[in-house]
Amino acid sequence: MTSYSQEVISNLMSGQLPWHQTKRIMSAYKDEDRFWKVLAVHQARVAWKERILLPIGEHLFIVQKGRKRITKCDCGHEFGDYQKNWKLSALISVRKDEESLREIYPSNDICHPDWMELREFICPGCAALLEVEACPPGYPIVHDFQPNLEGFYRDWLKQPLPGG
Amino acid sequence: MNIMSPATPLRDRLIASETAMEATGSYDGVTELTLRKADPLRYETLHTKLRSFCVSAREMARRISASPGVREVGEMVVAIYTPEGDAVALSNGIMVHVHTMSRFIKWMIREGYETNPGINPGDIFANNDAFIGTVQVPDVMDVVPIFHGKELVGWAGAVCHELEAGGITPGGDVCLAQERFTEGLFVCAEKIGTNDEIRRDYVIRCERNLRMPIYWVLDEKAKVASCIDMRESVLSIIGDVGVDYWRQVTKEFIEEGRRGQLLRTQQLTVPGVYRGHTFYGHVTEGKPGFQPLGDPNWLYGIPIEMTIETTGKITMDFEGTQSWGYHSMNCTPAGMDGGMFVTLTQHMNFEGLVNDGAWMATELKLPKGTWTNPDNEFCATATSWALLLPAFGVFQRLLSRGFLARGFVEEVFVGQVNSPMIEMGGESQYGTQFGMAHFECAAAGSGALAIKDGLDTAYVGWNPESDMGNIEIWEQNMPMLYLGRSILPNSGGQGKYRGGNSFISTWLLHKTSHLRLVTSEHSSRVFDNAGMCGGYPAPTCQLHRAVRDTNVAEVIAAQKPLPHGIGTNPKRSTIEELIEGDHTTTEGPYITAPHEAGDIFSHAYNGGGGYGDPLERNPELAAYDVTNGFVTEEAARDVSGIVLREDAKTDKMVVDEVATAAARKVLREARRAKAVPVADWLKDEAKRVAAKDFVYEVRRMYESSMTLSPRFAGEFRAFWKLPKDFTFTEKKVRRISASISPPKQGAHTS
Repeated sequence: MTSYSQEVISNLMSGQLPWHQTKRIMSAYKDEDRFWKVLAVHQARVAWKERILLPIGEHLFIVQKGRKRITKCDCGHEFGDYQKNWKLSALISVRKDEESLREIYPSNDICHPDWMELREFICPGCAALLEVEACPPGYPIVHDFQPNLEGFYRDWLKQPLPGG
Repeated sequence: MNIMSPATPLRDRLIASETAMEATGSYDGVTELTLRKADPLRYETLHTKLRSFCVSAREMARRISASPGVREVGEMVVAIYTPEGDAVALSNGIMVHVHTMSRFIKWMIREGYETNPGINPGDIFANNDAFIGTVQVPDVMDVVPIFHGKELVGWAGAVCHELEAGGITPGGDVCLAQERFTEGLFVCAEKIGTNDEIRRDYVIRCERNLRMPIYWVLDEKAKVASCIDMRESVLSIIGDVGVDYWRQVTKEFIEEGRRGQLLRTQQLTVPGVYRGHTFYGHVTEGKPGFQPLGDPNWLYGIPIEMTIETTGKITMDFEGTQSWGYHSMNCTPAGMDGGMFVTLTQHMNFEGLVNDGAWMATELKLPKGTWTNPDNEFCATATSWALLLPAFGVFQRLLSRGFLARGFVEEVFVGQVNSPMIEMGGESQYGTQFGMAHFECAAAGSGALAIKDGLDTAYVGWNPESDMGNIEIWEQNMPMLYLGRSILPNSGGQGKYRGGNSFISTWLLHKTSHLRLVTSEHSSRVFDNAGMCGGYPAPTCQLHRAVRDTNVAEVIAAQKPLPHGIGTNPKRSTIEELIEGDHTTTEGPYITAPHEAGDIFSHAYNGGGGYGDPLERNPELAAYDVTNGFVTEEAARDVSGIVLREDAKTDKMVVDEVATAAARKVLREARRAKAVPVADWLKDEAKRVAAKDFVYEVRRMYESSMTLSPRFAGEFRAFWKLPKDFTFTEKKVRRISASISPPKQGAHTS
């Protein structure tokens, strides 16, 4: 069975692995223990103790906090119940005029603000840019991902869901 | 396995196969892979041979073709099918058509072709009707039956994308087509040959109805040659293994492909519901040639909800998208299936038995009446890719969220891009009439990955073999000379990892008195190639710059600099700086009066979306980018907070770490200061939504979604806390035209 050390996985996640090694990992049969290795790397990197159940973004995790499962940023900011859209508890900055769009697109062509705006969802804790939605004004905010945590742990990982 | 006598009519065999799958859940009722179990080496070796037959036949056929699209860029695929029309093995290339060809074969079977016109050894059937089974009119497919004695034991099929289809505008992706009747030459599941020979009357029809029949006709010969080659190889294999083994093993290959896809989903993703969207702006108001059959401008919204069940089944639901329209961007279910197939083969089903089995482990929900499943078969589909590509870019991002959650970060990919194509026709440099689609578009930028930047000028979703072709080959085929073909700086979406850059071509028209230039799949006014996890979308399609009545001859005679691109000043291009003449900047599809020798024209392709927060970008990557012209120094500084300076000894950019740290601190604080809680923003926005304070095209988009989808309407009203009778339907609508006129920011002119 294919398997890699936690150090290799950590470097892969950081984009620090040499390309030839990354390419081999991409081309090889997948390592069955990857999920647990990745969780271990994430858990070692954060300063808080709640157990990570699932990564859902570059900075965001679903974690077990007491009897609750919440969405949490790696900086420690908590967004509440994981089944609710974390974006609704974030900060937002909207680019909907040429001046603000040109800050990101100094030389190339840009959307027409009547037809589209850029919504930046920002962590209240660390000000990381967590997601960008590009959509017409008035479009409802999207709930990107609602994982079936119970089914995932029970049927695919064959492990009890912590706190479950 | 579903056991049917070889003498059973094909239609009955197809129905029995489908019934067996419904009853057992397994393809053709194959519940046990007995041959695989008995002798896995023999089994695997046979599949490898079939695949090599396909790859070899395609390479051989490319040498027969006269089309630079097929010869240079590889716009071709071949495959081997079961008698019922399910793909067993396929070549590389435009794999989208492996499944659309399956639909074509099944259509003929269901329509009783076995009786009339008959399916006999040596017959050749062709099709390019998307409602029967292809994506768009230039995708012409040929299939030949494989008979072992009197028994039909399979099909060999091949598809080429034709560079000219004889439509209302020259090229293959007929941008101006608004109904089926202007798309060009249709071949509707037609028997075009017998005894391994293409009928002369069919060739004459092609010669009389196409601007450049040499492409289409020699591609036909190439496809037929590849089909015969595969047929003979298959018969040779049957001679080795026996026909009983062949019948069963092909079914087991597909069932194993189906099971493999389910297992791969369970291995690489997380079950749950994933959502995303993309948008496409179609602007034709005021352009010559477009008939007033419907709205001239369309804003398409493409929301997708993907569900992954614990069985591993993937379902994609397009509920909430808009209706089909009087334009060429509609897509049939065959095209949607093809999009699913080609995306799966790249992102999940790239090893083991690649065949129709993977597609069988998925489901598409295509609401009737939308562009994904038109309820009017007169509608045009010549540029289906315009909406198909951004849609399946969303699919790639949704899958990537699953890969990320599961820890397979190296598979996270922000996705394929929509990118415009240029087509042309008129008088060639040889003084003859011609028409051609320029296929250098097959090398756009890709979306970023979660661990590295996207590919520059090296990826499109529809053909993973992405190749732009050599300049010299294109110059042989059109009356335009390249002044430049260069990376377009900042054309990838910004992010921790940036999207791949696209390129721009700048041409001098040469030895022609009449050249029509037309572009298709040209989105306007919206970012249609989104980012992920904090990455920004790629810029919109670039506007077209053209110059007529130029002084280029004088510039050349004086040996002054020529423009090789448009530069990086959005207010004034390099072309404007260096060339005198009648300059125009045009938004949307380029449809205008013919050009002539001496004119200059530029056309750019699209880059991919970015991944992650740009303030987390490795400054060394930015130094490399700026040194090599992928990103401007201004963009690195203002978006990513990376301050660079030039090393006088090496002429390379190096990072000023202290200044970078300070700049990033400033940008982060500015970001925090500018942002507001989403809850506060929603209160203000809800008032705007309730007042329907949007331009016509946005209101029209919402109206179409809410009319076609009660679910979308309910969710929209619930999100904004609107009354149950809230609607965007208006008795009289005001059609705006202000947004078409020259804008104040210089970004949208016509």
